[in-house]
Amino acid sequence: MSDKLKVDLDAVMAQVRERIREKREKGIYGPDVEALLRVPLPGGRRIFADDLQDPLGSLAEALDAEVEYDPRSRKPLVGPLITFARRVTIGLVKWWMGAILERQERVNHLLAAAYDYEGQMAPRFGARLEKLERDLKEWREHLTASNLHSVYFQARFGGDDAVIRRQSEAFLDLFKGRKRVLDLGSGKGIFLQLLKENGIGAYGVDLDPRMVAQCKEKGLEAHEVDALTHLRQVEAGSVDGLYARHLAEHILPGELVEILRACRRALAPGSPLVFVTPNPKTLTVGAYTFWLDPQHLRPIPPELFKFYLEVEGFTDVKVRTFEPSEKRLNESVPEGPIRDNVKLLNETLFGDRDYAVVGRAPS
Amino acid sequence: MTAVHQFHPVLAPADAMSNHVFALRKRIRGWGYDSYAYAVEAKAGVADVRSYRRLFRDVKPDDMLVIHFSMGHEVIDQLVKIQARRVLVYHNITPPEFFSGINPHAAAHARLGLRQLARIAPAFELGIGVSEFNRRTLAEAGYEETTRVPILIDWSHFATPPDDAVLARWQGFRSVLLFVGRISPNKRQDDLVRMLAYYRRCIDPEAHLVLVGAFRDQPQYHARVVALIERLGLGGAVHFAGSVDGAALLAYYRAAKCFVSLSEHEGFGVPLLEAMRFRLPVVAYDAAAVGETVGSAGVLLHERDLAEAAEAAAIVSEAGDVRERLVEAGERRVKDFDPDKVAERTRQVLGL
Repeated sequence: MSDKLKVDLDAVMAQVRERIREKREKGIYGPDVEALLRVPLPGGRRIFADDLQDPLGSLAEALDAEVEYDPRSRKPLVGPLITFARRVTIGLVKWWMGAILERQERVNHLLAAAYDYEGQMAPRFGARLEKLERDLKEWREHLTASNLHSVYFQARFGGDDAVIRRQSEAFLDLFKGRKRVLDLGSGKGIFLQLLKENGIGAYGVDLDPRMVAQCKEKGLEAHEVDALTHLRQVEAGSVDGLYARHLAEHILPGELVEILRACRRALAPGSPLVFVTPNPKTLTVGAYTFWLDPQHLRPIPPELFKFYLEVEGFTDVKVRTFEPSEKRLNESVPEGPIRDNVKLLNETLFGDRDYAVVGRAPS
Repeated sequence: MTAVHQFHPVLAPADAMSNHVFALRKRIRGWGYDSYAYAVEAKAGVADVRSYRRLFRDVKPDDMLVIHFSMGHEVIDQLVKIQARRVLVYHNITPPEFFSGINPHAAAHARLGLRQLARIAPAFELGIGVSEFNRRTLAEAGYEETTRVPILIDWSHFATPPDDAVLARWQGFRSVLLFVGRISPNKRQDDLVRMLAYYRRCIDPEAHLVLVGAFRDQPQYHARVVALIERLGLGGAVHFAGSVDGAALLAYYRAAKCFVSLSEHEGFGVPLLEAMRFRLPVVAYDAAAVGETVGSAGVLLHERDLAEAAEAAAIVSEAGDVRERLVEAGERRVKDFDPDKVAERTRQVLGL
C-alpha cells in the first residue's frame, strides 16, 4: 500500500485526544459526563468481564453474594407447567445441592483464608493496594521534595534570568528560520522570548501553572501539560525544532528514553533538537552543585546522553560544553609536570558546568 | 474421496455461520464432490438441509466430514465416532464470563461447549479457525494441526435495493452511529449506550444509535440495556432494529454515518467487513479477533475509553479526507476476504 493511500491513524487518535483535552478545558467534558459514563448496568450484578478487571475488589462482593434463581417461566401456555416442574426439581435436589454447596463454601473460605494477611481477609486486599499506591505516591513526593516551598527555593537557588538568556543565545543559530519550535519545560519563557525576538515561531510546555501563566502574560504560547503526554499528542512531524533546558536531570532514565522516542515522532525530518543539562564530568558539579536542587534525580554523563540520542536514531549528534567554573587553580606555574597536573585538575574539578547534546531528527 | 459433507447443529437463514456453510457447499459441489449440509435443527427458510441422522449412513470412510463448531452439542460426541476424514471449523464460543450473573443458562452452555471442544480434539485431523484468534484457541484446546481460513462471506443477499422505509427514516441526520450484532453482553451494547451519552452531551445533542441484531437470545441483557437507556435519559435516541433482512441491513449501512464496535469478544466480526463494503467508516475497540479483521482500515481503539470512542466516531463521521481515506481503505480491506480467494484457500487446506 502506498503512503498516499494510507490512513494516518496515529494522527486521528492525536486529534481525538486533542478534542477531549479542549472539551475538558472548556468544562464541556466534566465530572457530570464522566459520571454518566460510569453508570452501572441496572437490574442486577455487574458484567463478570468487568469484575475481572478488578478481581480483588469484586471477590469481596462475590463471597457475600446470594444465589439468585427465578424458576418462573414466561413462556405462553406451557409456562406454569415449566415453573411447576422446576419447583419440584428444586425441591427434590435440594439436599444433594446442599452438600455440593457446602463443599463449595469450604473451598471459598479456604481460598479466602489463603489470602489472609495479619488476620485480615482477602477483601482487605483492595485497601492494602490503595495503601501501597498512596505510599508510592508519597515516596515520589519525598524523592523530589515536592512539599518544599518552591517560591523560597527559587528565590535562593533559582538561576539568574540574564545568565540563562546569555546561555540560550548560543543556540539561536540552530533554530533560524524554524516555524514551530517546542521548548520542553519552558519555565519563565526566556528562550521563547528570545526566539520570538528573532522571528522564530515557538511555543512551550511546562508542568507548573504559574510558569505557564507568566509566559502567557508576556504574550508567549505555553501549555500546562507534561512533556511526554504532549509529545505523544502532537501530530507526527508537526514540530520543527526542540529545546529542553534542564529537564533531563529531573526525570528517570527510562522516561528520558521515552521522551526521545516521542520527539523522534513529533519532529519533522532534519529538525534540530537540543538538551541542556548539568555537566557531571566536572566533579564540582557532579559531586556538589548538581545536588543543590532536590528535584534532580540523577546526573547524566555527556557520553551517555550522546549515546541515548544516537541509539534512538538522531543524526549529527554533538556535545557542546559551556559555562566555565568561576573558580580555577592558578596555572601560571613553570612549564613541566606541575603545570600539567594543575591543568588536569582544573579540567576535572573546574571544567564547564553545563553541556548540551545537539542532534537532528533523521531525514 | 467422493463426498465432503458439513454439519452444524442449527442452520438458519440470515446467519453468518449458516451462510458460510451454504456458500461452502456450493463451492465444494463446483469442485466435483458430493456435498450436503446436515443439522439437528433446520430453521424455517433454509432449504436442502438433511437430518444429522443420515450422516451415520451417508458418510463413507474415505469421505470428509466438516463439523462447524460454535456451540456445544451432545450429537457432536456421536458424530466424531463416524469413520471419515474429520475436520473442525471453529467459529468461536463466547466465554462464559460474559454471561455469568446475567444469563446463567448461556454461561453453562458456553462452559459445556468449551469443554467439549477440548474433549473432541483428538478426533480431528485438522482444526480450522476463521481467524488467527480462533486458531490459537484451537491450538490451546489441544488441536495438533491448525490453520486459519477466514469466513466465506456470501454477498448475494445484499444484491437487492436498500429498504426505502429505513433509508427515509434515518437519512439526513448528522450523527447516526450503527452497530450490527446480536444484543449480547460480550458485544457490550451497554457501553455503546454510555458512549452515546457522551456523544449527545459533548458532540451532537441530536445523535442517534442504531443497534441491529436479534435481542431474543439474551432477553435479560436486553432488558438491562433498556433500563440503562432510561436511566441515562436516552429514550428515543437508541433504536433497536432487531434482526433484519438484507435490504434493511443495506439501508442501515447506507444511512449511518459511522460503524462503532465496542465488542469485547468476536470470533471474526462479519459486520465490520460489511460496513467497509458499504462504504461506512469503522471505529472499533481492539479485542479478540476484531483487530485482525479490521487491519489498518478502521480506527482501532486500544484503550477502553468511551470518550475517545465517541470523538473518533465523530471525526470519521465528518465528511473529509480522513473519512474518504478510511472508506477507501475499507473497500481494499474487503478485497482481502474476497470469497474466491477464501474458497481457494479452503480447497487448499482441505486438500481437495
